[in-house]
Amino acid sequence: MWRFCNTVNNFSMDKKCAQLWQRLSAALKPQISADSFKRWFSTVELLEAKDKSITLTVPNNIYQLWIESNYMPALQNAIVVTFGGPRLVKFSAPSLAGVQTSVEDAALVKEASPAPQVEARPAATVPGLNPRNTFESFVVGPNNEIAHAASLAVAQAPARTYNPLFVYGGVGLGKTHLMQAIGQFVWAKRKNMKVLYVSSELFINEFIDAIQHSNLVKFRKRYRQPDLLLIDDIQFLGGKERSQEEFFHTFNTLFDGHKQIVLSSDRPASEISNLEHRLVSRFEWGLTAELQPPDIETRLAILRKKANAMQIKLHEDVFQFLATRIRTNVRRLEGALMRVASFASLSGRELTNETVEHLLKDILQEEGRQSITIEQIQRRVAEHFDVRLADMTSKRRPASIAFPRQVAMYLARELTKASLNEIGDAFGGRDHGTVLHACKLVKKRIAEQDNIRQTISYIDSSLQR
Amino acid sequence: MKFSVAKEKLLEALQQVQNVVSTRTTLPILSNVLLQANEAELHLTTTDLDVGVRGTCEAHVDKAGATTLPARRVFNIIRELPSSEIQIDVDGKNAASIRSGQSFFKILGLPEDEFPPLPKFEDAKVVTMRQKELRDGLRKTSYAISTDETRYVLNGVLFSFKENKVTLVATDGRRLAMAEIELEFPRSHESDLIIPTKAVTELQRLLTDDGDVKVSMSNGQIAFDLNKTLLVSKLIEGNYPNYRQVIPGEAKERVKLEREMFLNSLRRVSLLASDKSHSVKLNFSKNNLDITANTPEVGEAKESLAVPYKGREFSIAFNPEFLMAPLRALTEDEVFLDLIDEMSPGVLKIQTPFLYVLMPMRISS
Repeated sequence: MWRFCNTVNNFSMDKKCAQLWQRLSAALKPQISADSFKRWFSTVELLEAKDKSITLTVPNNIYQLWIESNYMPALQNAIVVTFGGPRLVKFSAPSLAGVQTSVEDAALVKEASPAPQVEARPAATVPGLNPRNTFESFVVGPNNEIAHAASLAVAQAPARTYNPLFVYGGVGLGKTHLMQAIGQFVWAKRKNMKVLYVSSELFINEFIDAIQHSNLVKFRKRYRQPDLLLIDDIQFLGGKERSQEEFFHTFNTLFDGHKQIVLSSDRPASEISNLEHRLVSRFEWGLTAELQPPDIETRLAILRKKANAMQIKLHEDVFQFLATRIRTNVRRLEGALMRVASFASLSGRELTNETVEHLLKDILQEEGRQSITIEQIQRRVAEHFDVRLADMTSKRRPASIAFPRQVAMYLARELTKASLNEIGDAFGGRDHGTVLHACKLVKKRIAEQDNIRQTISYIDSSLQR
Repeated sequence: MKFSVAKEKLLEALQQVQNVVSTRTTLPILSNVLLQANEAELHLTTTDLDVGVRGTCEAHVDKAGATTLPARRVFNIIRELPSSEIQIDVDGKNAASIRSGQSFFKILGLPEDEFPPLPKFEDAKVVTMRQKELRDGLRKTSYAISTDETRYVLNGVLFSFKENKVTLVATDGRRLAMAEIELEFPRSHESDLIIPTKAVTELQRLLTDDGDVKVSMSNGQIAFDLNKTLLVSKLIEGNYPNYRQVIPGEAKERVKLEREMFLNSLRRVSLLASDKSHSVKLNFSKNNLDITANTPEVGEAKESLAVPYKGREFSIAFNPEFLMAPLRALTEDEVFLDLIDEMSPGVLKIQTPFLYVLMPMRISS
């Protein structure tokens, strides 16, 4: 609790803040010249210190400009020493119009002056970035605050904080949103910085293409020149040796050139299958941040923020319903909100829990799906076809055993997130090709034979319950 | 409307107004130049809604009138016309027939009443400056303007009218350039205005070294009347940071340098400044200055200059481009570099009121 302080009244530092400021100053002084400290920090005070940010009061806006442009690395070092970790630095002064760059204080500026920010500058954006993915539209909660703070730090001082930044998390939890927010922020702030955002799939495809057309020079130029390289879904590099080799060199060139690299993945680097160890260690070099599913408060905050932004008015109960039933995937949560909102506005009908449940039947089913394991599927299928559980993993080929096994593989593919390799492993170390074949076969049979379709549908719904 | 005009005169006027036209505009009328012919003159106006320029050229006007035509295209046509006499005839539907020698062009335009008018300057505060002084002042400061669009107040030059002096300031947070122009004006005209980068750039192109420029300020707009040409621009709304805070106090060492020699040495040495560090090191010792740069795995460069220096030996590093920019803009033979220590900014000065504050870079061990 000693880390926190607040103002008692508007213009004086309370005792805790004063003490913290003393420590911060002491850590800062040795890093910059005595003259600079006297000029820029002797009239600065610590207004408040929260767990994610600190606010400094300055006499006027030149201080914010000069400190932000020249003393941030030294200040952040002092902050880490004093607070144990980085903090977002905010400034407070009588007039901040125009010099304000802190994203969270954008609202303050709009109140303070008739800011031309209202005349939206048609900022050209980096290709591939969705303009809606910004820091402002990202809802921060305990599930993602570290990833968020790290991303913000990287955006504010590329290549000077965490390099590389490795963000991982499940589907729909904000990896792409954060990465693109970094890209947008840097792009807007520093016109001379080259920003490149791609999915690793694009990287791989362009690499293959470059080899085929003997165009490696151009390819390397594209990927080794940016000042900020953002690669989404880096897990797809797994198993692709040559692409990994190329990426290894790309990574080294950028890293040695003090360029910022940001990567996202659906799992930690060490869990990406068939990824060269030297890449794993490089990905883990900087900071790894996890994006976890949001807790209920955060889910509610997300829903409210989105509803606000789209000027949707729904009863609080609806928000509660959605936040309670959709727990694991923010994208799914937002999609559900949109569906409910459109239904409400189009039909004009009252929304009861039942109507919403019915409206979102498939989404809610998807949610349920998360918890189905391959083993559960194997059990149910074995039970239904009256074969032994062991037959699922055995090498026996008679159709009476092989077919149920194939059905189980098909259902595993449909109902879980497991990869072909993982499914193959779960069925007695089978090849992924075998699993793929099984799925194709079962699909064909479903299309051809009604009774097969019914059987599988029956097993499916019994698993979902 | 119908008029004839000399090619060179029309071309010159078109050149003056071309740059303001935005290449990526959503409103088609903004890609056009407004042509107004009356008496013995042709006025050409272009605008991008923030900055507008109006040029004038002599013409023989048979029939007065006005229209707007695609600026870029008309410019390209006029430039290629064979003869020095051009006749332009515009019908009621804004189709312009351009004749010169054996060439004939017909260009479709848009009506003049669709063209956004340049703002009026009623109740404006007016001052008159020498063009040369304004041009010098802008040249000495405009390179330091910030390009960071999130700090919009810095995307221009501050004109501070105070106590019979106009102070021009430009900064991007890492360096600050300040120049002064002596000028008499009444106290009622004292104000601080921020002129956006685009207007500054255009102004620098249009200003000459002769004559006066009449500056009118009113309602968030400013106009520069250079007799035959008029430039109008919106002002940036906001409070420019208190730049005086940036200017260091007493210098510990003051070094006199020969500007051109210093600039040339910097230019050569900076060829070996690496892409990653962007820095050159200045090492001062008794009557000597060593300028060095190096790029790991590539090589290094060093030049020594004889300079009158009797202070303690010390080194300071700067971004070479940030150090060369003011040196290029100045014309004086000698400049002074005021220094305090390796972590404090350096200040470049000359005999007349001007200064350039530049933050140093960390010297890597």
